Amino acid sequence: MKLGGKSENVIIPVIAVLLAFLIGGVIIAALGSSPVDAVGYLVQGAFGSKTNVGATLVKVTPLIFTGLCACFAYRCGVFNLGGEGQFIVGAVTAVWVTVGWGFEGPLACVIALLLGAVAGGIWGAIPGLLKVFRGLNEMIVSIMLNYVATLFMGWVYTELLRDGSVPQTFPVPDASRLGRLMPGMRATWGLVIAVLIAVAIYYFLFNTSKGFQLRAVGLNATASRYQGFNVRRYVLLSFIVSGAIAGLGGAIELLGTQFRLMSGFALGFGFDGVAIALIAQLNPLATVLVAYFFAVLRTGATTMQVGSGVPTSVIDIIQALVIIFAVAGMAFVKLPGFKQLMLNRQRGKKEE
Amino acid sequence: MESLFTWNFASEIVLSTFRMATPLLLVALAELYSERAGLVNIGLDGIMSFGALAGFMVSYLTGNPFLGILAGALGGILVNMVYAFCTVSLCAEQTVYGMALNIFAPAISAFIYRVYFGVSSTLAQATLMKTIAIPVLKDIPLVGPLLFNQTPMVYFAYLMVPMTALFFNRTKAGLSYKAVGEYPKAAETLGINVVRQKYIACIICGMLAGIGGAYLTTCYVNTYSDGIVAGRGFIALSAVIFGHWTGSGVLMACLLFGFCDALQLKLQIISKDTPYQLFQMIPYVCTLVALAIMGAKKAGPKAKGKPYLREER
Amino acid sequence: MEEILRMEHITKRFGDVYANRNINFDVQRGEVHTLLGENGAGKSTLMNVLIGLYQPTEGNIYLHGKPVKIESPAQAVKLGIGMVHQHFMLVEAMTVFQNIILGDKREKGVFINTDKARKDILAISEKYGLDIQLDALITDISVGEQQRVEILKALYRDAELLILDEPTAALTDIEVEGLFEVIDRLKSEGKSIIFISHKMREVLHVSDRITILRAGETVCTLPIQETNGPELANLMIGRELVPSQYEKVEAGGEKVLVLQHVDYNKTRKHNGLNDVSLTIAKGEILGIAGVDGNGQSQLAELVTGVVTPDSGDVDLKGSKVFSFDPLAFIKQSVAHIPEDRNLQGLVGNMSVCDNIVLKRTNSKEFSSAGGWRLNKRAMKSYADAMKEKYDIRCASIEQETRNLSGGNQQKVILARELEGDPDLIVAVHPTRGLDIGATRFVHDSLIESREKGCGVLLISADFDEVLEMSDRILVMFEGEIMGEYSGKTPPIEQISLAMAGNKGVEE
Repeated sequence: MKLGGKSENVIIPVIAVLLAFLIGGVIIAALGSSPVDAVGYLVQGAFGSKTNVGATLVKVTPLIFTGLCACFAYRCGVFNLGGEGQFIVGAVTAVWVTVGWGFEGPLACVIALLLGAVAGGIWGAIPGLLKVFRGLNEMIVSIMLNYVATLFMGWVYTELLRDGSVPQTFPVPDASRLGRLMPGMRATWGLVIAVLIAVAIYYFLFNTSKGFQLRAVGLNATASRYQGFNVRRYVLLSFIVSGAIAGLGGAIELLGTQFRLMSGFALGFGFDGVAIALIAQLNPLATVLVAYFFAVLRTGATTMQVGSGVPTSVIDIIQALVIIFAVAGMAFVKLPGFKQLMLNRQRGKKEE
Repeated sequence: MESLFTWNFASEIVLSTFRMATPLLLVALAELYSERAGLVNIGLDGIMSFGALAGFMVSYLTGNPFLGILAGALGGILVNMVYAFCTVSLCAEQTVYGMALNIFAPAISAFIYRVYFGVSSTLAQATLMKTIAIPVLKDIPLVGPLLFNQTPMVYFAYLMVPMTALFFNRTKAGLSYKAVGEYPKAAETLGINVVRQKYIACIICGMLAGIGGAYLTTCYVNTYSDGIVAGRGFIALSAVIFGHWTGSGVLMACLLFGFCDALQLKLQIISKDTPYQLFQMIPYVCTLVALAIMGAKKAGPKAKGKPYLREER
Repeated sequence: MEEILRMEHITKRFGDVYANRNINFDVQRGEVHTLLGENGAGKSTLMNVLIGLYQPTEGNIYLHGKPVKIESPAQAVKLGIGMVHQHFMLVEAMTVFQNIILGDKREKGVFINTDKARKDILAISEKYGLDIQLDALITDISVGEQQRVEILKALYRDAELLILDEPTAALTDIEVEGLFEVIDRLKSEGKSIIFISHKMREVLHVSDRITILRAGETVCTLPIQETNGPELANLMIGRELVPSQYEKVEAGGEKVLVLQHVDYNKTRKHNGLNDVSLTIAKGEILGIAGVDGNGQSQLAELVTGVVTPDSGDVDLKGSKVFSFDPLAFIKQSVAHIPEDRNLQGLVGNMSVCDNIVLKRTNSKEFSSAGGWRLNKRAMKSYADAMKEKYDIRCASIEQETRNLSGGNQQKVILARELEGDPDLIVAVHPTRGLDIGATRFVHDSLIESREKGCGVLLISADFDEVLEMSDRILVMFEGEIMGEYSGKTPPIEQISLAMAGNKGVEE
């Protein structure tokens, strides 16, 4: 293995996934089901038919957005845990534009997407501003704002735009919805936008001077300041962009998949995004892959529950274990003791 | 709105402030013990949620809320040992790992709950802990009935505050403990076992945060639901910053946040026209405003957040 | 005489590097045994082995003739070994009293027995003349007093053998005298001392015996009566001492940097500037001598735009500076070799290549479309060229800089800062922690820049380095400039006095 090389960036997450599945299998067996059958149902549920593949693609879209949201901010060295709130704010804005304003059509859809991104950016700017100007811990601020956003959304669907007796908003009119990729499949152009944004962020981070400086700020803010980089501006920018990504994701989720706001909208997406970004080692392209993996687990889980009686929440455990192992693995290979071991091995090989 | 200023209203607010502040206080103290040893643990929400489940399950099964609290403490320790191993022994980044706990522990809690209770619509209910009035003290006019007729956990939480101050300021062990968070290398040269101390800190932190979680399901509401913790771990985290890493400061901060919570609950009942969500935002917004006004001066243990490697070169 | 300690055939290896190789060393009761050697000769490693921070790869340790295995500092303390580290092991947020009793387990009981402990400490303090204020916070007392606290801490734990690691490095002359008095008191009370230093004058003054280390190995052990300064210097360095190898110049040309009556954080003597005025002309090296922590760091940060002065004027290349911002200074071609390589100079998790081009990725050379398209090929070939030119030893330019040795890290910084002919170079402790070869390389590079007409501000706590390199020398003490001296014929005694705070007569 090459030290400090890229190979460990792939090997560790893969090992983490395998370990997590192993433990997941043990749990399933302990519940009295066959792990092999369960995995069989899982795979069938995710890939078994065109509908199932489509369902996975529907689930992956928001995860890509919140994953990229966490990834982008952390590249600049700040932990944005507010992806969920920014996502919600984006969706609320989209509902406002398409339902509240009452004009329909593709233009309304585009405006809703743009304003959703703007709203997410503004929501993301709050922890950024408080960090830069008041020195506050951005994690606490962004988490608090998640709760505020969730409650605000609650007000919107229980009162402001409530549709009848059920606490939910009016649906987005058909004409204002996002177009589907192909007939018969629920996946929309939102997925394409998600992937394009991932590619754009990858390009920005690794192929532009600004992205280069942003990464430098994230890795060593002091040295970056000495190099004349405007650290505060990058921190603020990373929060705004990160929030905008999540906000756009929220608008897309609403206009392409959910169509209404109701209780439980976006619940857990923020933390899922953080988990995805961490497992993907903050690589935007890998974020897409890991998000896909998470989505496969989700869609497969439903079939698994029906087929083998294993509750879907076993998937939550597997996901949680993946992150536990992946992060621990990365820390482990960075330990000096481990480095020494690898060095000695290399030397041993040379001497042979 | 004239009822706002009656004695009855005020006393209810006071009573409820102390109740609301209790879980915050327990968890903020947990964080205090963790950070004093140099470990910033943002995984409090996760630990609490597991503590809440363990507490609920045991008190549901045995009918004894005290056993529930015990189970919460043990569950909290168990979860926090994952954090301890990864941050202390593997030197993983503390924020990342705290976050991992926040993802990991609620997932396990939800899973166990589903497996055990199924997905039935009726909520399982456990017995709540009874209040115990303290003789003599409860007869003090005005404050007596308010402060001295609570569940034992409330007394425990508030008793922890002077105990904590005493521990850190007057005992040898407390001094060594603080040294680990301030300058671990110096502590090591004086024969203090830094790694062991950090593990102990994680045990204390896990225990208190677990109890804080179990408090929610044994003393506060009699059911368990996902998301029951509702960000209290993060509010507690702010309370530690707000309280300048001292027991009494943390107490003041928790009472402030507890007051916000009590107030919003009362306001929800009084003012039915205003959307209740706006009132529910009060504790979160107050936390933000409090932090923003105070700003985050460079304070707290010097070596917090930093991993400790022994043979450095 | 009674033998206290014997270390036999001690070897300590880190990966490929032998920090100690087959070292023999012993200490008798009531003597001062000096370990003499250059930076990186293995003194600190040997001591870390002795106090149990490191485990020796090979070799044995005997205390009072009995073999011991010292596995932790705690055990060393129990065995009566106390070390005063070069960087004090004091918890700044605690009081002197708390620091002294910290971790002491001999007294039973949960609570701190304040009265008894205070009495014990004051007794020791009186016996050895260690003057301290028990209830002051460590942050509020002087470096000299902090050192006394460290010594007291060891004595309070009944240390028989005291290790003093570079104890004079951060002290003024007067404080050094005080320390020597304490050492005499300790000796007469039968304590033994291991004194670590590379300062000849002090070593000759204080030692009974001297062991010289060079490149991790013992050269020899000599009683003080049988040796002298020049011999020790030769043994330590392994070659003849030569006077400065660089030609000193007198540059009267254009001024690059002028500071007039600059104040910054004036009230804080150890990290502020008080009425500082200085000029640097093109083509000269201005050396700032002084004990660490007398405002040098602040001076460096001020003339690179990291901090803003409270009052006074700063002129760069003839025009007054209004905006103190690193970028503004970089645009005026000010290069900065910062004091802390890893914190301020490098992004450790980025590659050698990235660090070399760090501040120039938006230049036309490395990107197009206004910085929106990086030219990675140009970056790589440039970095490869720099790797050759600055002799950076790394596996490839893709290697992360945190995995490089200190010398190679510094070369990466040089490659970034010195290229492109800056007009002013601010170099702070540029050779700290480097081996002889890398030091030489840094010095040659700075001289070369000077020849090209660049003004150099050299700030160093290494007095020899300042003497070696500077065309003019300024001395800083507690944030003030104490005097200016010629670099060609430096009046060493006057400069030393100035460094200790005596204003004396200027030339």
